[in-house]
Amino acid sequence: MEVNKTSKGKLLASGLIPFVFVILLIVYLFGSSGDLLDVGVSLPEVTIEKIVFVDGEIQATVRNTGHIPVEVVMADVNDRIQPAAIEPDRFLNRFETALVRIPFEWNESEPYTVGITTEDGTRFEKEIKAATQALKPSGELVGYFAIIGTYVGIIPVMIGLLWLPFIKRISKAKYNFFLAITVGLLLFLGIDAIEEATEVSAKFLAGSFNGILLIATVVILSFLGLYYSGNKLVKRADASPYAKPVALGLMIAIGIGLHNFGEGLAIGAAVGLGEVAFSTFLLVGFALHNTSEGFAIAAPMAKGKPMIGKLVGMGLIAGSPAIFGAWIGGFAYSPFTSIVFLSIGSGAIFQVAVAILGWIRKEDDKFLASASVVAGIAAGMLIMYITSILV
Amino acid sequence: MKNSKTSIMISILAIVSVASSLYFVIPGSIEAQSEEKTFVTHNGGIVRTTGEVLDPLYTSATMKFDPMEYLREFNYGRVSQLPDGITLREFTIIAEDDKIMEVSPGVFYNVWTFNGTVPGPTIRATEGDMVRINFINNGSKSHTMHFHGIHPAEMDGVFEPVGPGGGQFTYEFEAGPVGVHPYHCHMMPLEEHIVHGLYGVYIVDPKEGRAPADEMVMVLNGLDTDFDTENNFYAANTIPFYYQHHPIQINTDELIRVYVVNMVEFDPVNNLHLHGNLYHYYPTGTDTVPSFYTDMITLSQTERGIIEFEYDYPGKYLFHAHKVEFSEKGWIGIFLVKENPKSASIGVEYGS
Repeated sequence: MEVNKTSKGKLLASGLIPFVFVILLIVYLFGSSGDLLDVGVSLPEVTIEKIVFVDGEIQATVRNTGHIPVEVVMADVNDRIQPAAIEPDRFLNRFETALVRIPFEWNESEPYTVGITTEDGTRFEKEIKAATQALKPSGELVGYFAIIGTYVGIIPVMIGLLWLPFIKRISKAKYNFFLAITVGLLLFLGIDAIEEATEVSAKFLAGSFNGILLIATVVILSFLGLYYSGNKLVKRADASPYAKPVALGLMIAIGIGLHNFGEGLAIGAAVGLGEVAFSTFLLVGFALHNTSEGFAIAAPMAKGKPMIGKLVGMGLIAGSPAIFGAWIGGFAYSPFTSIVFLSIGSGAIFQVAVAILGWIRKEDDKFLASASVVAGIAAGMLIMYITSILV
Repeated sequence: MKNSKTSIMISILAIVSVASSLYFVIPGSIEAQSEEKTFVTHNGGIVRTTGEVLDPLYTSATMKFDPMEYLREFNYGRVSQLPDGITLREFTIIAEDDKIMEVSPGVFYNVWTFNGTVPGPTIRATEGDMVRINFINNGSKSHTMHFHGIHPAEMDGVFEPVGPGGGQFTYEFEAGPVGVHPYHCHMMPLEEHIVHGLYGVYIVDPKEGRAPADEMVMVLNGLDTDFDTENNFYAANTIPFYYQHHPIQINTDELIRVYVVNMVEFDPVNNLHLHGNLYHYYPTGTDTVPSFYTDMITLSQTERGIIEFEYDYPGKYLFHAHKVEFSEKGWIGIFLVKENPKSASIGVEYGS
């Protein structure tokens, strides 16, 4: 017992010693010898993350994304100096944000460039293609986003679930084909989410956040997290032969739900920032695209007992996050959260794809060499690609 | 046992990652309540804020250069008589290039200066005087003084660079021709030396003098604070919006004479518009008869002249670039015209 304790202490110490040295190194570099490596010039960097237009005022959210503290000293609209206010104050430490309020009688749907000048006279700007009144969280708007979310998320997923009786009646080889289609669909969705996150990162996120690495990190963490908890779920379900399809279906539903949350965020943000008019055409595209998600849940569930209640529940788990996403995206947009959730959704979906592949491998002897599996994955990808053109 | 440990570790990892992402997402959510401040917009609207005001108002506390003082400051030099009876005016001008000046509230810019200011001192002489400039370069680069006007080639300040760290040169020439001229450094790259502030005004008065007037100097200049070859600020006498927030006080029925010199770089033209009045314009100030009676002149690089006017009615009158981009970036000011105490009695005479 005694020996064990000392060895534990030693273990702990040996684990901590490198940390102590790292801390000492940091203290040393920042401390007395601060000038040691002070070569080159640190330039200020300010990113205008968001611009909203309210009555008689343009509001810009600015963030210090450089390596040194900055002082915001001036604001301009279309390169014309304007008196403005900055809240809470004009001194920004690294990563700190402030709200710049510029009184300005802006005109609907005209383009505007907002500029911010720091104390060394450097100017940073961001352009908005068309000014539109910022959305205020009103009951009407909450309802509007809920309707969009329902059309994009819940309804298509529910429609997709209606394939269940069809899948139930087909032969094993054909069933594997449809499961493989699901894999194809999911792979596509996962890649799609990464692409979208990359786009948001390039457009809105300051370089200092390392957007691509952020996406990679979150995707992998999300994958691992769901892989771990999904395995536990499936293991527990192993006891009864009917529970396993439900567990798999639930995993898929959660994965797709996370994905739809990210999608809802993107839609809400696009409307909120006045980037797109949310047209019926776009709505039809999203709905078609997302019907396949219901199918993905239905495919494994077809092996279990028919349970309408559980099926509807899963439809809600998969579809309703689109509504919450649209609310958050529309009223409290932040590129950082958007990228994080898109990446979580992507990781979750890859995990689900892997889980289904595992399921197919158990059922099908030839697995990836079987024509039905290969054709299914290919068909899934193609379906998604074609419907994605409509979005 | 092992399993629960792993799950604890994973949950710790999850908490840490969520907390750190929240830090980026909602920073500054804990902010102290501060008292409200107000400011007035360009349209006269009043806006309240709990934060700070970003407005190019200039307070005397932070001011190192006083445009109001510069406006009416003329340097006639140390005067002595040469044996042949000619008046000698001696000036000492020191060039520096290491000053950091607050050019607009909160905006710090490295200015290169003659005698510590942008523009440099206004040098004034009468036609035929001998002007002697003892030029000392205390900067870290070579500089010169190049005067527009008539002088021998070796006094032109182009081919005789004056070395850094105390280099000296004496410019000596006869004042002429009559008018208002710029002087500036002529080292290469010329644009860099000019836009950093190495320029000033040189006035040559006619021997017979000009009519008595309230005289002032306005150098129209620009500041490219982010070095993208586009001016971030424009001004009359360097400080953007200064004369808008600190109007120039003048009297009715009094002759006002402004020596205007355009030193704006990058933009091909500048101009000057006066409100509620027209002025007589003497291009380059070389003639005693005005060429135009107008409220708008257009000036290209180093183009200059004299404008003369009188106000009949008291009140606030704007003067600004009618290239409004320039005025919205600082080249704008106000004449605050007051009833002339002398003309009040004259007014009675007119009435009677």
